[in-house]
Amino acid sequence: MSADLTPPPAGPEAGPPDDDVLAGELVLGVLSGPERARVQARGEREPDFAARIAAWERRLSPWLSGYATVTTPAHLWPELTRRLGWTSEPARTGLWGSLTLWRAATALALLAVLGVWVLRAPSPPVTTAAQEAAAAKPVTTLARDDGTPGWLASVDRSRGTVLMVPVPASPDAQGRVPELWIIPAGQAPISLGQVSLTKSHTVTVPQRAVPDLVAGSVLAITLEPSAGLPHAAPSGPVVAKGAIQT
Amino acid sequence: MPDPNTAAASPEALLAQVALGNRGAFEALYRSTCDRLFGICVRVLSNRAEAEEVLQEVFTSVWRKASQYQPGRASAMSWLGMMARNKAIDRLRTHPERSSLTSLDLAAEVPDPGASPAQAVETLAESARLNRCLEELEDKRRTLIRAAFFGGFTYEELARRAEAPLGSVKSWIRRGLAQLRSCLET
Repeated sequence: MSADLTPPPAGPEAGPPDDDVLAGELVLGVLSGPERARVQARGEREPDFAARIAAWERRLSPWLSGYATVTTPAHLWPELTRRLGWTSEPARTGLWGSLTLWRAATALALLAVLGVWVLRAPSPPVTTAAQEAAAAKPVTTLARDDGTPGWLASVDRSRGTVLMVPVPASPDAQGRVPELWIIPAGQAPISLGQVSLTKSHTVTVPQRAVPDLVAGSVLAITLEPSAGLPHAAPSGPVVAKGAIQT
Repeated sequence: MPDPNTAAASPEALLAQVALGNRGAFEALYRSTCDRLFGICVRVLSNRAEAEEVLQEVFTSVWRKASQYQPGRASAMSWLGMMARNKAIDRLRTHPERSSLTSLDLAAEVPDPGASPAQAVETLAESARLNRCLEELEDKRRTLIRAAFFGGFTYEELARRAEAPLGSVKSWIRRGLAQLRSCLET
C-alpha cells in the first residue's frame, strides 16, 4: 500500500478542479456540507453548470439499480397523503390517534389566535380530548415583524418533532423558501429544514438538537435558497420568530 | 385506490399524469417505486427513521415537481433514484457525527454490481458500459469512486477510511472521474 500513500504531484491537479469534475464531485456526493450547498447553488443559477450536473447524473445512474430494494413500511403512505394535505380523517388507535389529536390541538390554537370563537359553534369541530391535548402542549407563536403570527409550532420533545402550522402566506418573490432554525440560548442556529407556507406538517428534529427543544430556545424562520437544504447556517432575512413555550 | 388505468403504466407515463395532478397515478407511482427508493435512502443514511423521512420528502417533491421531469434526459426511474440519493446525501451532510467512523473496509461498502434483479432491460447496456469504463481505472480510483457512490461518503470520510492523505484521495477521485467521463463519451 506504500504507493497509495504517495501524495499527488504538484501541478494542475493540486488546484481546484475544472467545472466538469466539480459537477462530477457533486453528483458522486463527496463534497462536504457547505461546499455541496455552494456547488448546488451554482447549478440553480447557471444553466451550463446544471447541464454538467445532469450529464454526470446520466453517466452514473446505471449504478442506482445496484442498491438493494427495501420494503417500505405500510404507515408511510397514509403519512404521505396527510403531509400532502389529501387526508385529515382521524385514525382511532395508537400513534395515529395521538398524532391526530396533536394536529387538532394545534389547529385549535390557530383558530384561537386568529380570533375565531370555535366553542360557540353549534357542533364543536374538536373533541374534549383534543382540548385537553391543547392544554398539555402549549403552542409557540412565530411572529412576523409586524406582530402577526406567521407560523404556530407545537413542540414534542419526547418524539423529537415540531408540528408547524403556517398562517398561509404568499411565496417569496425571489423564489426563496422558508427554512426553520432552532437557536439554543447563546448558540448558533441549527437548521430543521424547509417548512411550508401553506400546509401544516411535522418536522423531525436532528438528534443533536432534540435536547434544545426547551423553553429559552428560539424557533426562527429565514428565507433561503432552495438548493442545499438544510443549510449549515442562515444567510437570508428572519421573517418570523418566537421563543419555545413549554 | 390506484386507477386501474394507471396500475400497470410505466413510471414515465405515471409521472406525466402526476404532473397534471392525478392522485391515482401518484399512488401507482409510489407503489411501484417506493421500495427501490427506500432502499437507496436506507443504504445512504444507515438509519431507517431518517430514511422514512427522506422518502416522504422525495415523494412530496415528486408530487410538486413532476412537471420538471424531462423524458429525453433520463429514465423516470433514474430521475427518481437520483432525487432520492441527492436528498439522502443532503440529509446526511447535516449529521457530521457519522464521519467519526473509521477503519472500515471500503470494499465492504459496495454491493455486488451483478445482484440487481430489478434492473430494467434498457439500462443493462448502459450499466455494462459504465462498469467496463470503471474496470479501466486503477484499483484505488475504482474502489474510492464506487465507495463514494454507494456509501455517500465525503472526501474527508473516504480519506479516513482509506487511511490515505486527503489530497491524494481528492486527486485519485478527480482523475478517476475525468477518466470515466472520457471513456463514457467515446
